[in-house]
Amino acid sequence: MYMIETKNLTKKYGSFTAVNNINLHIQKGRIYGFLVPNGAGKSTTMKMLLGIAQPTAGSFHIGKKSYPGDRMEILKEIGSFIEAPAFYGSLSGEENLDILRSILGLPKQSVADVLELTGLAPYQKRAAKKYSLGMKQRLGLAGALLGMPPILILDEPTNGLDPAGIHEIRTLIRSLPQTYNCTILVSSHLLSEIELLADDIGILNRGRLLFEGTASQLKEKAHAAGFPTDSLEDTFLALIDADNKKRGGIKR
Amino acid sequence: MIVLLEAKKLRHTGYFPAFLGGTALAAAIPPIHMSVRSDTFTAQPGDPFRILTDANWQLMTMLNLFLVICCTCMMYYTEFADNGAQKMETLPVTESRLFCAKLLLFLSCIAVMLLLETIVLALCGKYWFADYEMRLSALLKTCGFSFAAALPTVILMLLFASVCKNMWVSLGIGVLFMFTCSMFPKDSLFFSLCPFNSPYLTFAELADAETQRRFLSACAAESVLFLAVKLLMIKLRRCFS
Repeated sequence: MYMIETKNLTKKYGSFTAVNNINLHIQKGRIYGFLVPNGAGKSTTMKMLLGIAQPTAGSFHIGKKSYPGDRMEILKEIGSFIEAPAFYGSLSGEENLDILRSILGLPKQSVADVLELTGLAPYQKRAAKKYSLGMKQRLGLAGALLGMPPILILDEPTNGLDPAGIHEIRTLIRSLPQTYNCTILVSSHLLSEIELLADDIGILNRGRLLFEGTASQLKEKAHAAGFPTDSLEDTFLALIDADNKKRGGIKR
Repeated sequence: MIVLLEAKKLRHTGYFPAFLGGTALAAAIPPIHMSVRSDTFTAQPGDPFRILTDANWQLMTMLNLFLVICCTCMMYYTEFADNGAQKMETLPVTESRLFCAKLLLFLSCIAVMLLLETIVLALCGKYWFADYEMRLSALLKTCGFSFAAALPTVILMLLFASVCKNMWVSLGIGVLFMFTCSMFPKDSLFFSLCPFNSPYLTFAELADAETQRRFLSACAAESVLFLAVKLLMIKLRRCFS
């Protein structure tokens, strides 16, 4: 039983296919790293999982719930951070999280917990618009972690953080499945980041899923196909390049 | 509860002071007008309240409309400025529910605004007209009518603000509508039914109960139509986003 499973999930905008028949299999309690070049359909996929974008075809289920019937129930179980930190600039970090807490129906203590966890506690009274980029990123992450949901969808969570912040957040994300038994879908352009974070990897290019499995399975596949396997970066680039040559042009 | 959350979102944005300031400005018109031209109005025959509304309601409504336009834009600007609306989409709360909560909050502010303005008009009547007898039921009827007449305009303006991510676009549309509709003939019931024009009409201007009933039914129908359009837009947007 997978925590997140998609079946031929497809999203088309007119004649343009952003996501083409992808079948994701994300196991419970594991970190799934999404490796995707820019504009390959990562955000669209994540938005479909959150029900923000409606799939053109295909279906998915999260836990025992399926979309679209259980959309509201699904959203109660997912903490997400998509594209960029989203908040109310005029409110303080604490007030922002309190609004999310009220909607999710969580106890008041949960706000203090995530502020502490993300290192925002000393700045909780400051207006969010006055936060630095790294602090805004932490606020977005705090919003996703609020109430420790069983599923986390994190789109580039370390964007804008300094090296120490990246290490801190990476350690935090890494620890979540053990501590809270949650399942995480995380994307990053930083291949080293995914290498250090993820248990499983999914590679998406131009709307299609090219690979899904563990890092060692990826190495085996790349080795068999004659691609370099010295680093994840080399393997990823070779895989994408081969797929681009095979499919030619830019039309999906 | 969700309405309180919407009110919380507007803290530190200047929304509530703007509403209070705008209301105070519009409510200040009748006493200022009366203090400089009281002889002109006290010499007129007829119901003092009617004389006062005829003399002041046009300008007061124009200020009210401008306040509605600015405050709806402010309401949604706080949602779009730092992607707060985007975060709301990922939470277990529907966009239609958030829109209705915003509308309810806005309508409660409008109700307070109209109530204060009606009270000021009545107090002016009491102060400057010796024969004016203040009747609570008549005041509430006038206030309720103005509220119902403003409903389609408020919903339509909130709809514009919710659709345009750039606040200046919705502000521009609102101002354009306000000035275009202000040029429509005031004696035609058909033109009076247009949003941005209906708030200019007063309870006393509609002669009989049947016309009043028709006017209020039309306002209710417009309001339902604009709400339905908004709900449809929410459904369609998810298909195309």
